[in-house]
Amino acid sequence: MPHAPAKRQKREEYKNSLHTNEQNAALPKKKFYRQRAHANPFSDHSLTYPKSPADMDWATLYPAYASRKKEQAPNEGLQILNDNDEEEQRNAIAISKDVKIADIGCGFGGLLFAMAPKFPDTLILGMEIRTSVTEYVQEKIRALRVQNASTNGYQNVSCIRANTMKFLPNFFQKAQLAKIFLCFPDPHFKQRKHKARIVSYTLNSEYAYVLRPGGVVYTITDVRDLHEWMKEHFEKHPSFERVENEFEDGEGEDGTGMDECVKIMRTETEEGKKVERNKGMKFVACFRRVEDPAWP
Amino acid sequence: MIFPYQCLVARTDSDDSNKWTVFGASGSKLVAQSSTGATSVWPQQDEQQQQIVSAEHGEPPGKRIKLSPAPTERGPNFSSIILSSNGEYLIGVTGEDKCIRVFQVDKEGQFQQLSERCMSRKPSSITLTSDDFTILCADKFGDVYALPLIPSPNDEPAENPVVTEQPVDKDFTPSATVLTVHSGRNRRTLEEQLKQKAKGPLKTKEAMTFKHDLLLGHVSMLTDLAYAKKGNRSYIITADRDEHIRISRGVPQAHIIEGFCLGHEEFISRLCLTPLKLLVSGGGDACLYVWDWQNYRLVERLPLRDTALQHRKARSDLSPSLPDNDQGFKVAVSGIWNIPGLDALTNAVLVACEGLPALFEFEIGSNAKSATTISLNGNALDVAFIKGSDNSCSIVVSIDNIHKAGSTTLVRKDKIAARLQYFSKQTDGQWQEDEIVGKVFVGFAGQGSLMDDEATNGDTPIGNGADQASSEKKSARDILYSVENLRKRPGAEE
Repeated sequence: MPHAPAKRQKREEYKNSLHTNEQNAALPKKKFYRQRAHANPFSDHSLTYPKSPADMDWATLYPAYASRKKEQAPNEGLQILNDNDEEEQRNAIAISKDVKIADIGCGFGGLLFAMAPKFPDTLILGMEIRTSVTEYVQEKIRALRVQNASTNGYQNVSCIRANTMKFLPNFFQKAQLAKIFLCFPDPHFKQRKHKARIVSYTLNSEYAYVLRPGGVVYTITDVRDLHEWMKEHFEKHPSFERVENEFEDGEGEDGTGMDECVKIMRTETEEGKKVERNKGMKFVACFRRVEDPAWP
Repeated sequence: MIFPYQCLVARTDSDDSNKWTVFGASGSKLVAQSSTGATSVWPQQDEQQQQIVSAEHGEPPGKRIKLSPAPTERGPNFSSIILSSNGEYLIGVTGEDKCIRVFQVDKEGQFQQLSERCMSRKPSSITLTSDDFTILCADKFGDVYALPLIPSPNDEPAENPVVTEQPVDKDFTPSATVLTVHSGRNRRTLEEQLKQKAKGPLKTKEAMTFKHDLLLGHVSMLTDLAYAKKGNRSYIITADRDEHIRISRGVPQAHIIEGFCLGHEEFISRLCLTPLKLLVSGGGDACLYVWDWQNYRLVERLPLRDTALQHRKARSDLSPSLPDNDQGFKVAVSGIWNIPGLDALTNAVLVACEGLPALFEFEIGSNAKSATTISLNGNALDVAFIKGSDNSCSIVVSIDNIHKAGSTTLVRKDKIAARLQYFSKQTDGQWQEDEIVGKVFVGFAGQGSLMDDEATNGDTPIGNGADQASSEKKSARDILYSVENLRKRPGAEE
């Protein structure tokens, strides 16, 4: 690959130029962050993830919501804390409200940026396994926060690199989330790779665990086969039921009654737009978390 | 030379609590030793007999031989054995053929194989529900299956409603249309599928043709599982390589996750439920973790690594000698066992680490952080507990007679190293070597899978040379030591 070094160098130079000024409000350019569409969810990527949800540094992701402001807990102070001050340390990374919406496999963040202004009081987290794509979203969030400093816009949205198939319960408590988005996931066509799909009967138990009863998993894909797969695996999982037709499609030409998020999901995701251009099909299916049955 | 006992387990006679039987797996063989002195072996030496037994169960004769990996005509090696709570059944897992074998064991300790069911993924741990009806099998792929201990003839074969492992192939349609937007790679896969369609259906992996139900799954290798019953509620507890301990409801609600015990920073390899409703977990971390697992709360951490290091330093007989800095010293837990027979208020566990010639006893919930150490002549492999009617407790410890004490790679020079050691708990709480117990095991100690003596010659680390002896050495190592391999290697990236 004779071009690789030049490409890498260009990317580095570009990213460094962005970082020279924290107040830089220019949006990042996608072309410097492209990355192959697949990641192996089984391999031991050198991921960072918290030991448990209480150990997650939310304050850095949502500084406007930090329980304790930065000035009060300077970083040098944190390092001298020992094990006994675990409580103290956890306070320093806590935020005043919990994340309620997770976009799993958020890609370049189209859905996140469309939802952030629609739900200004809800914390939204994008989770993406590809490093540079995550960086792009993080840069864009930083720039948008600078641009919207006067209104405190985009303080409610953030993005991390994560392998949610392995580590979802490390980030979220039981019944914490209200919505989970799975938009245009990798279809993993090969049969022996089906366990790598983001939806499966066994993995759905983890989505059920982090979702509150009444919460919704949103799925959209342009691959009919995958759509059928996701439907099958959610429908046979006793913790989920398919939502009403109106929620997904609305009624009539203008789609009255369609869920606000379904609308955004159909039009604002990057893949969604691509499919639109190609005049392809989009398949939507949403599933509501039901209450757990009584336990003897 | 005889292969060590990689697994041990003991039962107390249901009629006479003074009588007991200890079972061991040595390579591909099972051996039983009863307190009366009788021993029995499976499969029986006589090759013909073995074939008759398998033919009785509708197995084509010679299949076992075909499956054996080494040219030495050895069958698949046992990776774990457990007993039903009434002691009547022994369930063994053989690694190479991923098979779960159920044996009925009579009072004399004679084995009769009732079934062998080969899973499509390698089982990493099995347990039984408290009613002894159902085997729970956790596999390396991350899934837990339920299988009836004794398959009923009424069970519909294979087809379970939860998983359809092979989507119907006959009416093939490609996974996507040409309109599908995705990477070039997916487009190529699509083209492949179309080509494949022209060639005819793909040969799929052999399906499991017996009743099995998928209960739950992690996207991570499962390393151990436990079953607990509290009142009317039952629980399935699963541990994985990615530091999770998951608490799920029991069947029929095993799809519901109740919570996680999170806190480990390295892989988890062993779980142990104590009679006092606590859970002890260990793996690649420096400490054992003790959990109030029904509330997902960490109760205490026990300093295993420090205890082990202290012992290691005190033993000058071990090789290779310890590096100068202690930083590199790591432990990998290969066994945690409840010590039976103490009073109801104190719990203690016995712990073994891979490649260490010692066992460590920790008291649970007492805040006493010091451990009692049992020094061994070779690396500890497994432990069986013999509980006397007078509340006395003895242990049989299997010892690695192939590798040097303290090493998982260096081969011993002495060819007659003992494969077993025996201890009894004294009234002062100390463990003392017990010759009297040892005398009962004379037959047991002489049984097992024979190894090619060539394989154990020389002082060279395993892996040198490509000859058969070396490969047998390597396979011996793989059978005995697989826990440290669970540790993640930094830099193994993208």
